[in-house]
Amino acid sequence: MTCEEVIAHLSSYLDHEMDAALAAEMQEHIAQCRNCRVVLDTTQRLIVLLHDEGRHIIPMGERSALFDRLQQAFLNRPPASDSNTTV
Amino acid sequence: MPGLTIDLTIYDDEEALLAGLRRREPDACACLIKRFAPLVYAQALRLLGDADEAEGALQQTFIKACDKLDTYEGRSGLGSWLYRIATNEALMLLRQRSPRVAIDHVADTIQADEIPQHLTPWTLDPAAAALNSELRATLEQALMTLPETLRIVFVLRDLQGLSTEETAAMLGLGESAVKVRLHRARLRLRELLSTYMQEH
Ligand SMILES: [Zn+2]
Repeated sequence: MTCEEVIAHLSSYLDHEMDAALAAEMQEHIAQCRNCRVVLDTTQRLIVLLHDEGRHIIPMGERSALFDRLQQAFLNRPPASDSNTTV
Repeated sequence: MPGLTIDLTIYDDEEALLAGLRRREPDACACLIKRFAPLVYAQALRLLGDADEAEGALQQTFIKACDKLDTYEGRSGLGSWLYRIATNEALMLLRQRSPRVAIDHVADTIQADEIPQHLTPWTLDPAAAALNSELRATLEQALMTLPETLRIVFVLRDLQGLSTEETAAMLGLGESAVKVRLHRARLRLRELLSTYMQEH
């Protein structure tokens, strides 16, 4: 396997979407190639970082008017039909 | 101001909150907004890259959620349900914004400029640095420099945690296209963050 091939398959490898034979070839290359090892390691760290970031709240600033509008939209919605209240 | 100072512990769990929403209790409504609006907004902003549009998507999300509340079956959890509505709203805005650049218009191979250039190990451990606000800002900024077609796939897969299959269905793409785009987005972000990671 060449470095280019390793790079091209990196995400499939990290996401465990790769068959065992190909993964073994990857491991063999990575064990011997410092550059590919760095790219693998840093990509893996990136994914960990992003996983946390996905749960991070971006400040909305002064948005009380928006909260009020959202609340009005909810409270003013038309009444549900009584025949259809089951979950 | 009403709604913003509400006690979030009035409702024991999501089921109680949902029952309150169905009874149209103002407290339930305020509680839902306070709990989920900032997260939904963050997700819309990452997809859209524009604060005003993200606000619009947020508003539409809650209006749609009202309409659908009586048919919501509670299987996926309120948060995921709202996320899904918000994602669809954001995707609709994206399609309106650039109707000629279809969401599936992208080369499905690794580009020459995506071959890794930074080959130095990161000294900063992201797990330990997760609360670093400077890193966080760098990351959000890097995200916005990704081409839209890569960013959307990336936000749904790596940030929102949807599966390849779910992402493909949501975007009307093949699963292999989703995989390639995710990979390209990761390689680009890795390059963009490498400089920071080596300097800190
Ligand atoms: Zn190599």
